[in-house]
Amino acid sequence: MATAQMSVRSGTKTTTERRRDAALRLLTAERSDEILPVLLEEIVALGYPRALITAVDYDSAELRPTVSLNCSKSFQQRFRTSIYALDHPLVQSLQTQKPKQIPSLPRASNPVLCYPVLYRHKAPCWEAERLNRPGCLAILNNSNAKLNLGDQVCKVCDMRSYAAVVVVELNRNASAAQTANLSGLIEMANRHMARLFKTEHYYNRMSDMEVTIAQMETVMESMSDPVILTDNQHRVIMQNKAAERFFMLPEEVSEGRVRAVELNNMLFSAALSSMAVSGSDGTRDLALVDAVEAEEVLFEAVSAPSFTRDGRRTGMVTVLRDVTELRRADEELRQNYEKLTSAEEVVRQDRDRLNLIIENVGDPIVVCDKDSKIVLLDPLAQELLGTGRDAARSPVRLRNQAKLDAYITAFTYSFSDRESAPLRLINPTSSQEVEFDAHSGKIYDERGQVAYTVTVLRDLTAVRRVEQMKMERRMLEMEKFAAAGRLAGTIAHEVNNPLEAIKNCIYLLANSVQEEAQPVYTILKTETERVARIVRQMLGLYRNTEQVGTFDVNSVAEDTLLLFARQLERAGVIVEKDLQDTIPPSVGSADQLRQVFSNLVVNARDSMNQGGTLFIRTKLLNNGVHEMVRILIGDTGCGIPKQMVETMFEPFVTTKGERGTGLGLWIVKGIIENHGGKLRVRSKVGQGTVFKIDIPVVR
Amino acid sequence: MDKKQILVVDDEPNVLVTYRLILQQQGFAVTAAISSEEARRCLDSVTIDLLLCDLSLEKQESGFDVIEYARKKNAKVPAVLLTGYATQDANDWAEQRGIPVLFKPIDIQQLLETINKLIKNEGGSSAANQAK
Repeated sequence: MATAQMSVRSGTKTTTERRRDAALRLLTAERSDEILPVLLEEIVALGYPRALITAVDYDSAELRPTVSLNCSKSFQQRFRTSIYALDHPLVQSLQTQKPKQIPSLPRASNPVLCYPVLYRHKAPCWEAERLNRPGCLAILNNSNAKLNLGDQVCKVCDMRSYAAVVVVELNRNASAAQTANLSGLIEMANRHMARLFKTEHYYNRMSDMEVTIAQMETVMESMSDPVILTDNQHRVIMQNKAAERFFMLPEEVSEGRVRAVELNNMLFSAALSSMAVSGSDGTRDLALVDAVEAEEVLFEAVSAPSFTRDGRRTGMVTVLRDVTELRRADEELRQNYEKLTSAEEVVRQDRDRLNLIIENVGDPIVVCDKDSKIVLLDPLAQELLGTGRDAARSPVRLRNQAKLDAYITAFTYSFSDRESAPLRLINPTSSQEVEFDAHSGKIYDERGQVAYTVTVLRDLTAVRRVEQMKMERRMLEMEKFAAAGRLAGTIAHEVNNPLEAIKNCIYLLANSVQEEAQPVYTILKTETERVARIVRQMLGLYRNTEQVGTFDVNSVAEDTLLLFARQLERAGVIVEKDLQDTIPPSVGSADQLRQVFSNLVVNARDSMNQGGTLFIRTKLLNNGVHEMVRILIGDTGCGIPKQMVETMFEPFVTTKGERGTGLGLWIVKGIIENHGGKLRVRSKVGQGTVFKIDIPVVR
Repeated sequence: MDKKQILVVDDEPNVLVTYRLILQQQGFAVTAAISSEEARRCLDSVTIDLLLCDLSLEKQESGFDVIEYARKKNAKVPAVLLTGYATQDANDWAEQRGIPVLFKPIDIQQLLETINKLIKNEGGSSAANQAK
């Protein structure tokens, strides 16, 4: 601070000494704001009565006294002015950057020197120099151009310049040398201040940068995604916590962790290199190993190069985004889509196959909805029922539709799932009535309501024709059989009475035949008995043809077995019977069936000379259309030679020589066919024979 | 012991004769009738233990008439119906009355068994014993 003592002492020194002291004092200042007070002291020390600094306050846009020495308040207030008061000598001095002397202020006798000080220099600031950029404020302010007080911020380094005016009250008798000395002092002080100001500015910038760096680090750390800064050699300069998990080894490590981190570093480095090579600083997928969880994590690496302000590339900033879940969801989506596509394909194939089937069924097919309205017709059904408009023009088709509608409506509201019924429709081309067998089924919706009905119409014309032919043939056969029976009966009847007499005579003669005539008598007796058997057989056939009713197959079988029980036992034949007890009655002649059983049982017995097993089984068969009783009569006898099988059902064919009539199986076959049944035989010589008989039952 | 009296009726003379001979051989007293008319006459004059009668007789006459006639005389008299051919009606008729039906040609052993059984049970009606 300026004191009286100082000013006394200064008075004893030479000008040169004083200048050197002043320079040294200024040099010792460490801060820019220390300079101006020192300057004021030095000015006063030069012998000037008082001095002050009025500085530009950019906030209020005015010049305000900041530091003063020996100045009263009111004196100071004189040097306060707006910077826009352009005719004010202070402002003019600043703008022109030239010292200005105010000759004499009101109420003051001495003139005043206004000396502008502001940040200026011949050389650009370091930043401008390093970046080689024009527009450094120091240079601009140093030029002779008119100063713009409102814009004192450096374009290069953002430094806000100081601008002030040093106001010194001159002595009335001051010499030019003294004034020059004063100017030199102020100029030197300004030079010092500019230098300190610059240093302080850079120091402040550094502090600001530290804050920025700390903020950036916080941002980086707070990111959950790994962020990595790398240099031009892809070496990691900086990484956040999330990245450390993958790229940095903690103090205690397992071997697996080391490998994982090494692998990750290698993968990452390779990815960066490949990005650098390919020139695409974009996005790339990167699979890394999570060393903690020991699982693969898929990242999307977004890299961007980092540059200095002068455009030099310093490395890369890479942000890794965990896309494992995303990719998994993606993959799932893709798989679902594929599944859907393949399901669609299956459905399509099914539909095509179904269409192909429908087209090739060869029967008309009608699909109706729940209101019995036709929704689908195949070409054959279209012909029969027509489609839409052309149906309306054809009365035949309308009638067909009405009939079908009645049937389908009844079926839709019925309780059965499927139904078949005869339906007579008219063929529109031939105008003839055709008998159809309508087979219908229901398709239900998820609530169990009828959604659709499907009806297949089977043309029965061909079936009926075959049935008719079969029926005619059977009638013919039956007629033939009946005629043969009647003929045989008539003959037998006529033969019967004479035979009865002969037979009785032979019986009567039994005791009166001479020894030598005995063989002849025996022949007479056996041959007559044979004729008697033939007649009996024939009459048996004829006798009961009219006796028709219902009968129980099982009881007929039981009766027959009972009748032959003793004979069979004597022949050493074991009987195995297995009669199903739920067999409904059959229509026909019980007597005829008894004859069938008798003949077959006798045949079986005769085939088993050495004894054996006779089995009789009955069983109810249901082929879905008809119910049949199956009768199996089998033996373990000698069997029938193959060549005999073909002729065995013809009349007068026998294997029993004189004992047989050759009519048994012929009659059996005739009876079975008369009953609408079927007779089949399976035989193996030496093993046995099985007769299989199917007879329809009646419910 | 008195011989059992059997009446045989058949319109075939040779058959009738042979039946008579066979039955006599078996120790029965046999009366033979060639027609229904003659059979009725015999029934009027003789008390019989058994009637053996052919179903189809001369003209429109049938064994049924003869049996009916015999049963009028003695409701419990056993009878056997002989026939070469019987309709269902005839079968039913015989069955109702407990009369066995034997079909010609008749097995003589079976005939004799049937007769013996009926005579032994004389007075009661035996179960129908139909033969083929």
